[in-house]
Amino acid sequence: MPLRPLEIKKYSILPGFGLTMGFTLMYMGFLVVLPLSTVFIQTAGIDWTQFWNIVAAPRLVASYKLSFGAAFIAALINTIFGLLVAWVLVRYSFPGKRVIDGLIDLPFALPTAVAGITLTTLYAPHGWLGKYFTFLALKAAFTPLGVVIALTFIGLPFVVRMVQPVLETLDQEREEAAASLGADRLQTFTKVIFPELLPALLAGFALAFARALGEYGSVVFISGNMPMRTEITPLLIMTKLEQFDYAGANAIASVMLIVSFMLLLLVNILQWWSINRHTDH
Amino acid sequence: MSIEIRNINKQFGSFTALKDINLKISTGELVALLGPSGSGKTTLLRIIAGLEVANQGCILFNGEDATSRNVQQRHVGFVFQHYALFRHMTVSENIAFGLKVRPRHTRPSAKEIQAKVQQLLDLIKLEGLANRYPTQLSGGQRQRVALARALAVEPQVLLLDEPFGALDAKVRKELRRWLRRLHDELHVTSVFVTHDQEEALDVADRIVILNDGQIEQMGTPEEVYEHPKSSFVYDFLGNVNLFHGRIHQGRVSIGSIELDVPEYADAVDKQAVSYVRPYNIEIEREAQGQEFIPARILFIRSVGPIVHLELKREDTGDLVEAELSKERYQALQLKAGENVFVKPKDLKIFIHEDYCI
Repeated sequence: MPLRPLEIKKYSILPGFGLTMGFTLMYMGFLVVLPLSTVFIQTAGIDWTQFWNIVAAPRLVASYKLSFGAAFIAALINTIFGLLVAWVLVRYSFPGKRVIDGLIDLPFALPTAVAGITLTTLYAPHGWLGKYFTFLALKAAFTPLGVVIALTFIGLPFVVRMVQPVLETLDQEREEAAASLGADRLQTFTKVIFPELLPALLAGFALAFARALGEYGSVVFISGNMPMRTEITPLLIMTKLEQFDYAGANAIASVMLIVSFMLLLLVNILQWWSINRHTDH
Repeated sequence: MSIEIRNINKQFGSFTALKDINLKISTGELVALLGPSGSGKTTLLRIIAGLEVANQGCILFNGEDATSRNVQQRHVGFVFQHYALFRHMTVSENIAFGLKVRPRHTRPSAKEIQAKVQQLLDLIKLEGLANRYPTQLSGGQRQRVALARALAVEPQVLLLDEPFGALDAKVRKELRRWLRRLHDELHVTSVFVTHDQEEALDVADRIVILNDGQIEQMGTPEEVYEHPKSSFVYDFLGNVNLFHGRIHQGRVSIGSIELDVPEYADAVDKQAVSYVRPYNIEIEREAQGQEFIPARILFIRSVGPIVHLELKREDTGDLVEAELSKERYQALQLKAGENVFVKPKDLKIFIHEDYCI
């Protein structure tokens, strides 16, 4: 059988595949793979029993529940309301539209500690918003609800910025076609528009969720950090580090890493499915 | 179902898209709205469908006022130029859409929907492709699916917005013949928009020619082609040669020649534009009378049974297009660069102060 040369690069008028590819690999290696692998290398210093004792401690299990649960709820809230915001920004024109569009990115740009302090001030039992929560016999600051609020705040831009460009390219003729076939507004949205937006929504959800999982700065102020109740996992990693328990911190980190990797993989598979189900055969 | 359009006006900001349009379309007719881009033909179609709202005027379906009905209530089938198929649905799901979205009490059973889809797939000759997605179909196939989707809800009016505009020439011709046959079978009142005069002449029962938001002329293809009411219509419906001249008391002078035009006997020294179709240009080697204009052959395209020539008039320097039969061409033995004499026959003369090209 004749050997066929491996064809990776295509003819291009802009050469430089070797250089750029080499740089990409080096860059990713130094910036992503190497730091992440040290987590596992450090964790390898302890045996399985020790590992299990650290990562399955009741205080940690409580923090996993809060971290993953609150991140999931926050990402879900952002998916719904992010879609709404993106819809308004794309479909309607109104005075101040550009200002609102700019405000969306603020949670990106703001130092997270600033967000934490402001949110805590607002939602504290005597804060501007917190007092209404107290009135409803609810507490926002220093409860899991506060954590969800902080995570919702920082995750907003992801969904909006993922959905916005897709909505902009969405052809209004399809909606008109659906209407001319007798579909009402809800049917037009759920059966025609929503399926087109689903991949972008899933991607936005995944990003908001990932960001919320890793969030530290804005949460530690509003959560109150009460053991078993409002401690998030990244905080426990910090605590271990402050006690010079590097192996312990890395053990927790590796759990976070593996779980979030699997969750992202799941969302990506879902996204891949939603994009490709109408083209594959 | 018959459609009546009364005094429709439509403005987009300061731009007037339609000016006082009145039009009656009777049941079972196939009407073409023909015009250049920006003539308002698509706007008119969208107003009939309820996708656009007119500033003034009303639309009557079967004599009943339908102006205030929205697009869902009008029960029209609308076919878009770029198909507007639902990308995440298969061909059969696309076709079934209009039936599946009906409220429960009027929705056919799953079995009936399946049967209807099958029947339409037979009609559009895509039986084997029921489970394909739109991206896996060719342009012509997609447009047929779009048509089947519109027909599934059994509309009483079918509206098509440049339905073949995005297809290549051969498919376009096939599909428009197919549409004509389909119309003859189904007899659903149909209106289609096109900027292609050949398409309109080939398919429609009646042609409505629009220009600048107004109806220039309407009539059967023969009527509008043979008896154009305005220079615009004459120009728009086919290749033409323009002869600028002056008209005075029933005689028109075009360059070096003069012709009798009894219909303008009372015109006094007016600018006139004469139109001649390329096949009405006679070519001779020798001038046989004073109606012949000397010209030089610039270019000959002799592919097919009709030979196309481009000539330059010696007197004014204007270009003239002519068409000859192959036999005539061979008898004359013409070559590029030769000097000949041309005679325009069957001139259409319009006196027009404001019309210029």
